[in-house]
Amino acid sequence: MSEVRKPRDPVTGHIKALAKGFKYLIEPNRMTLDYPAETMKLPPNYRGFFTVDDVKCIGCSMCEMVCPPEAITMVPRIVGSGGKTLPAESAPQDQKAAKRTKRPVVNWGKCIFCYFCVDVCPVDAFRPTGVHDVAFYTDREYRPTYEEYLNPPEDPYKSSKKVVSKADKKRGVSYEPAP
Amino acid sequence: MSEKVYNLEEAATLSPSGEKYIVLQIGPSHPGSGHMRLVVWLDGDIIVKVDPDIGFVHRTSEWLSERREWIKAVPIVERIMLPDTIHANLSYVLAVEKLLGIEPPPRAQYLRSLAAEINRITSHLYGIGIFGIFLGSSTVYMWAFGDREPFLDLMEMLTGARITYSYIIPGGVRWDMPNGFKERAETVLQYMERRLKDYEDIWVKNPVVQARTINVGVMKREDAISLGVVGPNLRASGVYYDTRKHKPYAAYKDLDFEVPVMKNGDAYDRLLIRVEEIKQSIRMIRQILKDIPEGKIIADNIYNQLNPVMKKVYEEKRRVMFPAYMIHLRPPPGEATSMVEAGRGEIFFYIKSTGDKYPYRFRWVTPSFRNLPFFTHVAVGHRLADLPAIYGSIDYFPPEADR
Ligand code: SF4
Ligand code: SF4
Repeated sequence: MSEVRKPRDPVTGHIKALAKGFKYLIEPNRMTLDYPAETMKLPPNYRGFFTVDDVKCIGCSMCEMVCPPEAITMVPRIVGSGGKTLPAESAPQDQKAAKRTKRPVVNWGKCIFCYFCVDVCPVDAFRPTGVHDVAFYTDREYRPTYEEYLNPPEDPYKSSKKVVSKADKKRGVSYEPAP
Repeated sequence: MSEKVYNLEEAATLSPSGEKYIVLQIGPSHPGSGHMRLVVWLDGDIIVKVDPDIGFVHRTSEWLSERREWIKAVPIVERIMLPDTIHANLSYVLAVEKLLGIEPPPRAQYLRSLAAEINRITSHLYGIGIFGIFLGSSTVYMWAFGDREPFLDLMEMLTGARITYSYIIPGGVRWDMPNGFKERAETVLQYMERRLKDYEDIWVKNPVVQARTINVGVMKREDAISLGVVGPNLRASGVYYDTRKHKPYAAYKDLDFEVPVMKNGDAYDRLLIRVEEIKQSIRMIRQILKDIPEGKIIADNIYNQLNPVMKKVYEEKRRVMFPAYMIHLRPPPGEATSMVEAGRGEIFFYIKSTGDKYPYRFRWVTPSFRNLPFFTHVAVGHRLADLPAIYGSIDYFPPEADR
């Protein structure tokens, strides 16, 4: 390893360093994205916001049990027509007729997007949306109600140019328009 | 180096209010790569004593993990070593697997090594970038942080996240290599090889860097051993020890790689060793991509517990879902340890199970904590202006030391 350590003589050393800097000044190796004029279309397996399929979910609470930061709360629901659920308060007077169940709601302020809940669901009821760049303006928005949770945050930059990243031998990362 | 070299015994007797010396507080607001404070006693501008005051970013990872189900510790340990999450995840899972008696299949072992080596490159680039900004070179800081990007993209492709992967679970890994991964990885490796030559010209062989780091912060071989420093910092002092070679885990048994060792133990060697390790990691990633065996990515006894829906997902998307067993892991009573060579050095894990649903004892020692003697033992006698070179060269990451 002694050859890698050998000090370079100062004149060549400085010239080489300056030459390299100059080369990149003329021909920059820029991989910055012009955000938010251009935004990324995230890969299909990206762990972003997700919602639950109201009909598929069986209310087993496994997702609540596995969530490391305890971000999931189960809300009481009753099964309505076509498997869709209704708020528990709307249960008919005859309490026995209502088929009670539960559905998960994620507190976005606590969720760390580990996707343990998505993976533990026995019926694969969670649906990733591929949306990631969302800002919440109030504390209340972090804690959606179940109805709000069924429509998770939308991509705020829908109108911007969508790109996908691609490995590039010369620049490391380059972007091309999303298909 | 100054004329008068202060010895450690003398330094230990100094009082914080010592009249003769100036006491300088560096930090605690983020003096480098995280919150910590260095209390430095100075005689003129010669460092007489350094007292690293750590614990500002203590995150109670052990306490939290002892009060949660076993699987929930995976994201917790990751948050301690953010530039290097795979290794924290891997070391914990290796210890749990020992207790459970599960052996992951070969393909999962290779995928673990693949993720670990990609992560090692990003971790070293992080270290090199921080070292750059410490010595006043914002160029290399921008370059190194930018060059992490292609590797983070690779990890994103593999795991769906950029930093906190939660990729490794007891019994295997969660996702298989997607289509097009190999080609993309090869392109990225070629890019990095070319960039390493650029780094050499502008940073590693730059006379300014050489002047500021050669013979600065020398950790002698014997001292490195007796003080118990780990990882690249240990190898820079001439000790041939790497957990990947000496106690192989994951797929390292089958991989052909060298462990770079330097002999001077100064800040420059610690920089060079990181560059050399990036080269070795590139070499290993190539081998893994070439030799990775086909097969399952999760151990059979976990696969067999998947329900038909989960098995279908596994066949179609090569994504491992968790059987209910994963939430209710109850390793049989006993103790297990594991050791993993992370980017900054060796992680040591000790866990004890009483057969309960939570770990009874959860203890881990992280590499940055073991590299603390550099501040107390190596900086003494140098000028204050050398302190950033010493701090930067050891790639110290406060949250990792504080756990
Ligand atoms: S992604 Fe992780 S943190 Fe978020 S709700 Fe699911 S289990 Fe909880
Ligand atoms: S694990 Fe799946 S089925 Fe069970 S409650 Fe959660 S979303 Fe519903």
